Amino acid sequence: MNDLPASLVLAAHLLLLSSLSFGGFPTVLPDVHAFAVSRGWVTDQEFADFFAISQVTPGPNMILMMSFIGLKVGGVPGAIASALATFGPPCTMYYLAYHLWERFHDRPWQRIARRGLVPLTIGLVIAGGYIMASSAALGWQSVAVTAAAAALMLWSRLNPLWILALGGAVGGVGML
Amino acid sequence: MLDRASSDPVPLSALFGAFLKVSLCGFGGGLVWARRVVVEQRRWMGEQEFAETLTLCQLMPGPNIVGITVCVGAKLRGAIGAIAAVSGFIILPWTVGLAIGGLVLQHADATVLRNILGGLSAAAAGLLIGTGLRLLRPHRSRWPRLLVAGLAFGGLAFARLPLPVVLLALAPIGIAVASKERF
Repeated sequence: MNDLPASLVLAAHLLLLSSLSFGGFPTVLPDVHAFAVSRGWVTDQEFADFFAISQVTPGPNMILMMSFIGLKVGGVPGAIASALATFGPPCTMYYLAYHLWERFHDRPWQRIARRGLVPLTIGLVIAGGYIMASSAALGWQSVAVTAAAAALMLWSRLNPLWILALGGAVGGVGML
Repeated sequence: MLDRASSDPVPLSALFGAFLKVSLCGFGGGLVWARRVVVEQRRWMGEQEFAETLTLCQLMPGPNIVGITVCVGAKLRGAIGAIAAVSGFIILPWTVGLAIGGLVLQHADATVLRNILGGLSAAAAGLLIGTGLRLLRPHRSRWPRLLVAGLAFGGLAFARLPLPVVLLALAPIGIAVASKERF
């Protein structure tokens, strides 16, 4: 077994991908899939299961998902290496970008850019919810759960955890 | 922006705790909780500033939610604040998530488990949509902005364009719209 080199190869690749993952980590998932499956580190089914579990596990989803792959490849050290490679470079870049952004905060061009880009951002957030909903949708019942959750989020101050628990319960009793 | 120089510095433990909460509550994406904790509960940012920070994070590589964590920490306490916030967000939830996830993965074929996961993800998707609509509320009287939001939504959700394409195509339009607006 040469587990350690495999974890390092994976970590190095994730280091590169996380520095390039413009628009969030899900955009590089197809690449991770090709990289890990073609080397025989994980199967297709495992990859899909890692994704599903990390989506419904509280916490940093994509970091967790990469760690599941790292765990499979090289045990706990592999998981830690994958996690660090996934969030390390972006954290540094976010920090530096935030400072630049703040320094020019009151320039007119930045005010216009901020105002112009915010609606775009919001559209992307709603699209993310829509894509998640359509991959989770099994029939009109799950569409109804999604619509009810969106309405409660929009018009009530109900704790979102209750909304999630309700969704899980409806699924658990086999109504979806 | 409004009162940037606050009187007392926010304790590092508060940043750690707040983002621990965001992380632990954040099923299917932490954005819902990041907005709730940062804007509604702690009032560390206004609705507008939060949306702008999210914009910055979307333009950068990496997990957006981690970016928000870094920016809020950096805004309130500089580098050490960013480290405290990111530590809160990652260390404990990651450990617990890896342990529980590993267990669940061994039983991933159980029907009941699959059903519960299905219900959870449907609700989580709704929460994300609701959060987006809430962020959109302050813009509802300005139709050009709604149009840009709608195009971004359609490009990603229906046309299934790659995200960089959507960003590159709509960013100039959004900025052009904003430069024509009067106040």
